[in-house]
Amino acid sequence: MKTSSIKKLLVAMTATATLGTAGISYAEEPIRLGGLYILSGSAATYGEFAQKGINLAVDEINSSGGILGRQVEMVYEDTQGKASVAIQAARKLVYSEGVDALVGLDSSGVAQGMVPTMPELQKPLIITHAATPDVTGKLCNSFTYRISVNVAQNMKAAALVAAETDATNWTTIGPDYAFGHQSWEFFGNYLKEINPDVNLMSETNFPRFGAEDFTPFIDRVMDSDAEGVLISVWGGDLVNFVRQANTRGFFEEDLEVMFTVGAATEVLTALGEEMPEGVHLSTRYWYEAYDNDINDRFVKAYLDAYGNPPSYNAEGAYAAIYAYKQAMEAAGSTEGPAVAKALSGMSMDAPNGTVTFRKGDNQAMVSPNWGVSGSMHPEHGIRTLNNLQIFDGEKVARTVEETGCKL
Amino acid sequence: MSGIGAALLNSLDIGLLLFIIAVGLNIVFGVLNIINFAHGALYMLGAYLAFTLINIAGMPFWAALILAPIGVAILAVIIDRLLLRFIYSRDVADSLLLTFAILLIINESVRMIWGSGIHVVQPPDLLSGSVRLLGSSVATYSLFVIVIGLLLLAGLWYLFNRTRVGRIMRAAALDRDMAEALCINTRLVVTGVFAFGAWLAAVGGVMAAPMRALDPGMGDKIIIESFIVVVIGGLGSFPGALLGAIILGLIHGFGGRYLPEVNLLLPFVGMALVLLFKPHGIMGKGANA
Repeated sequence: MKTSSIKKLLVAMTATATLGTAGISYAEEPIRLGGLYILSGSAATYGEFAQKGINLAVDEINSSGGILGRQVEMVYEDTQGKASVAIQAARKLVYSEGVDALVGLDSSGVAQGMVPTMPELQKPLIITHAATPDVTGKLCNSFTYRISVNVAQNMKAAALVAAETDATNWTTIGPDYAFGHQSWEFFGNYLKEINPDVNLMSETNFPRFGAEDFTPFIDRVMDSDAEGVLISVWGGDLVNFVRQANTRGFFEEDLEVMFTVGAATEVLTALGEEMPEGVHLSTRYWYEAYDNDINDRFVKAYLDAYGNPPSYNAEGAYAAIYAYKQAMEAAGSTEGPAVAKALSGMSMDAPNGTVTFRKGDNQAMVSPNWGVSGSMHPEHGIRTLNNLQIFDGEKVARTVEETGCKL
Repeated sequence: MSGIGAALLNSLDIGLLLFIIAVGLNIVFGVLNIINFAHGALYMLGAYLAFTLINIAGMPFWAALILAPIGVAILAVIIDRLLLRFIYSRDVADSLLLTFAILLIINESVRMIWGSGIHVVQPPDLLSGSVRLLGSSVATYSLFVIVIGLLLLAGLWYLFNRTRVGRIMRAAALDRDMAEALCINTRLVVTGVFAFGAWLAAVGGVMAAPMRALDPGMGDKIIIESFIVVVIGGLGSFPGALLGAIILGLIHGFGGRYLPEVNLLLPFVGMALVLLFKPHGIMGKGANA
């Protein structure tokens, strides 16, 4: 009885397997791309934005003939914001889902763990969000690219903004992991270079990521001699931070306040008028910063499809799919090493202008956006940005030598 | 120094909110011998129901404070009758697995119903803004949390020590068979206690909604804190939940201000010290707690 049922099972399995492969070989196989994002928990909103951007790009590409004449199909895995989960998920996507290339990564910690495993997979990865300088620096490799702004680029821009203010004593409030610490380190170094007279205070504030209550740190900055404060708290934490800072009267103090991820649309949407006017806000892509056809089309399509303006994370993910289209068509193939090679030094037109993956470190030369929060947008229900500055991607980037990347 | 008053009030508002949540966890463990991993998810449901009632249905905060916890308590009755009643007689580890599954189901349901975005709830007009107290400016809403926390503390003490219902609950916790022999309907007690625990979690969720951003991971954050409270104070102990919550509140309130470099570490140092010297928690009674 037992052996016969196992036999039956085996026969059934063989039949399915044969039928399965036979079925596929008739049709033109779609190109499969793997998406690795945070799809559950507190930061799930970032994965959802990426998916929204990707869906737009995939629909546009598929309705205009696909890539190399083949349709594009996405397969997603949840990284849960953990490097170990992401590494496993990437292996699953490559080895059992058979994806041709990968996009993704929302967290610096995940990126640092995952990037060194890319050469083993022999598939290209375009990072669309994670910002640690290391992955296009000392951890770089020929399969890893980044289309979004990194911490070094954004902090160079931040230092240029800070240098224009009257503040001399600077401190920081940032999440207690790679992102918060690296933001302060790069900001401090650049600011000191531009203006050697600034004082980088030794009392810094690194609350736990997900701390929920930031009042101890808000009070600490208010009681200190700080004249300027760099805040790299992000996401739901930032929403909590701003609301608690409001009740403490933090924004009435004579302080230059700089939020390094403050113009993220999800944060501005949640806060509405609670985001004060007159603070410096940055984002890796501001939807009203670029006056070109691709951006107009992208913003309009996004608003039509989802009802709110695109976040930086949606833009990065959207552009990454087009990057693969261009690279695969240039290579004339979907083979991992060939596509990765085609990406190197490639220039493409994206919503945020012409984007070039620099040959030396595979970092895209993209522009950080900084502005000052203004009145509420009449339709989008979020703060507008005044004095918008679009920093030249090339000028705020480290030199290849400085990155420590050896390809 | 003016900072001490602010730190103290801050510690109390964090601590008493944690108390409201952790005491529910402890009551459920004490009476039902279940470690309810889904307690944080019930807290989150309370907050999201409040968000729906206030921001979408346009009800006042006070109505949400009454209605949302009742809604969550009704859900808890369903969970109890449908799932939990099958495992009451089993090992406590089984309850961890089952309630973990319930947590995952609730987490994903919240993400599907309300989306993964960040939501905020405004405090009622009466409680918005801030007042000067103990030499610093304090959010009026924080004071309200402290007052509600103290009221619940008094109410719970009265319930357990002065009412028949409370005595029945304690009797069922001590020896369920004997309680049954004395004509106490323990099945009703069990369902009632689980629903009451869920009600407390949801009250915590509604209270938290105007001061903490809502996202689908908020339940996971609070359950870790609640477990730390319970480990420090003693699993199943009512005064332990209070003590643990206040200690953790003080660690956050003062640690963040005066020892910011190690603020990440402090709660765990506290937990490790307690485990070393009082393995059952400060108020724990050991195996028969």
